[in-house]
Amino acid sequence: MISSRTEGCTLTGALSVTTSVQDAITVIHGPDGCAHHNFSLLHALHFDNDQLNLPSILSSSLKEQEIIFGGEFALEETLSGAMGESPGAIFVLTSCVAAAIGDDVRAVCNEIRGCPVVVIPTGGFLGGGFSDGVRSALIALSELGKGGDPNGTVTLVGEKNLEYEAEANYREVQRLLGLLGVKVRLRFVRNIAVSEIAQLGSSSLNILREESLADVGDLLKDRFGTPYLPSFPLGFEGTLTFLSQVGDALNTGSDRAISMELERQKGIIDQFSELRGRAVNICHSDHMPAPFLSELLELFDLQVKERGQILTLPDPIPVGTSGLSRMLSRWQRVLHA
Amino acid sequence: MMKQIALYGKGGIGKSTTSTNISAALSGMGLDVLQIGCDPKRDSTRMLMHGRLIPTVMDQVRERGDKAITQEDVVFTGYGGVRCVEAGGPEPGVGCAGRGIIATFQVLERLGALHADVVVYDVLGDVVCGGFAMPMREGYAQEVYLVTSGELMSLYAANNICKAIRRLSGRSRGQCRLGGVICNAKNLPDEKQLVATFAERIGSTLIQFIPRDPVVQRAELNRMTVIEYLPGSDQAEAYRLLARNIIENRRLDIPEPLEIAELENLAYDFIAD
Ligand SMILES: Nc1ncnc2c1ncn2[C@@H]1O[C@H](COP(=O)(O)OP(=O)(O)O)[C@@H](O)[C@H]1O
Ligand SMILES: [Mg+2]
Repeated sequence: MISSRTEGCTLTGALSVTTSVQDAITVIHGPDGCAHHNFSLLHALHFDNDQLNLPSILSSSLKEQEIIFGGEFALEETLSGAMGESPGAIFVLTSCVAAAIGDDVRAVCNEIRGCPVVVIPTGGFLGGGFSDGVRSALIALSELGKGGDPNGTVTLVGEKNLEYEAEANYREVQRLLGLLGVKVRLRFVRNIAVSEIAQLGSSSLNILREESLADVGDLLKDRFGTPYLPSFPLGFEGTLTFLSQVGDALNTGSDRAISMELERQKGIIDQFSELRGRAVNICHSDHMPAPFLSELLELFDLQVKERGQILTLPDPIPVGTSGLSRMLSRWQRVLHA
Repeated sequence: MMKQIALYGKGGIGKSTTSTNISAALSGMGLDVLQIGCDPKRDSTRMLMHGRLIPTVMDQVRERGDKAITQEDVVFTGYGGVRCVEAGGPEPGVGCAGRGIIATFQVLERLGALHADVVVYDVLGDVVCGGFAMPMREGYAQEVYLVTSGELMSLYAANNICKAIRRLSGRSRGQCRLGGVICNAKNLPDEKQLVATFAERIGSTLIQFIPRDPVVQRAELNRMTVIEYLPGSDQAEAYRLLARNIIENRRLDIPEPLEIAELENLAYDFIAD
């Protein structure tokens, strides 16, 4: 894999998951800086998204002393401090320093009684990058799931808590599921309480936020028998396929939902007919799925030219029909400008 | 001019025994000696301190914080006026002992404790990480002496240390060189010849042969170096010769570590003969 300066550290990825469990405390077993930088980053991003709650993060404050003599005692102290706040759960992330000196974090956490303590062995950069952190957090938190008889609902897995459009994307998926008469039972993990995680494994279908979470989908399938869709809906065609897949998985039938959505899509395509035939130069990230772009080029008969109007495909790419509609209105504004 | 030497070698091979006797012998030559134990085992200077395990630099830092420490807290005077320091470190199995050595050097540096006619660093077995290479770095010990017997495992460790010396000798700030090989005998047949041949092959020289002698254990039971316990013994004389050879040594080499097969063949040749 090519290293990228946009990938960041596992801690940030894992924190994006754990700090979205509202009554939990996340302990970073590492130097204060790891907690400080991530706290600032999360706080600033949440602030941008009009969320004013401060992430509950504690640091075990490793210093040179702990590096030399081992940091297990410092972690113990931090955990008992965290217990004093009576959290619903404590999530423990490890920094690269803790991983390098080989602290036995699980052994320390196993001693704690009275509150679930979940170890997420992130290992700072040693555990990979941001998305590895997200994955290991989801996998670790899934230990709190209790399973149950499939009840016709859906669980969303791995929403991107730091993306600006997270709520809009959720509403879009909710709307589409509504066309099928299906409800979301659990958002794993976004703005939930620890107790809600118990419901993990009781839905009839898991829907992953994106394909890179396939490991998590597989694991949940093995553990609870829940099948999964690999991604939120992307593209016009992709959204219709999404409806049919959910309909198949839950035996709800999807013909009516699909034809309603198709009508809506036609309306949107007409609404942005001004884009038709334009010469454009579309910037996008490297991991953009190719069918998404070719569908747009075809639908609007766009001509790709080096000198064409520069348009940007957002990363991550918009979810569902509504996401496309928002993006197209931005494109139209650019063309008008 | 201050001379700084470091003894490296496999665990249990006799580095501390040899270091304390060298220090004791040097003090007998009227030199001001500082011995620094760089092994979390912290027993390097015990025989100079008549059996006492002195508080370590790392213990003191842990108890008082490194700002509050003075030289008196970490430097202790033992036999013959030799000043003794133990780096210390974590309990086995936790933390990072190598970082402890680095931190110790920072403390000693700040206290201005690293001065003497001769500084003797007694360092743990293998150079397992950068921390244990610290005495060879930044211009601390310019001369490394390898302690080895004729046993393959011990030659193997010595050969590995040559790799570290070779690597560090290339750095502009370090002037670390191999001063020679000390054969601390296990009473194997042709052992002196084997270690001498090894020394030659790596581009160095056998600086002293130290016989294996029960007087070492007797001195130990009496909590003394051999130099103090039985100054008239042959063993004490061997240590004095070693000390003199080291002081007079002008030969400093960048060693050529052997390939494993070469090393094994060498040991095999001697067993077969
Ligand atoms: N020349 C020798 N003759 C007899 N015994 C020796 C000799 N050198 C070392 N020893 C014994 O070997 C043991 C280990 O030596 P030590 O100096 O502690 O090793 P190291 O510091 O390399 O770990 C000591 O208990 C000592 O009695
Ligand atoms: Mg020793």
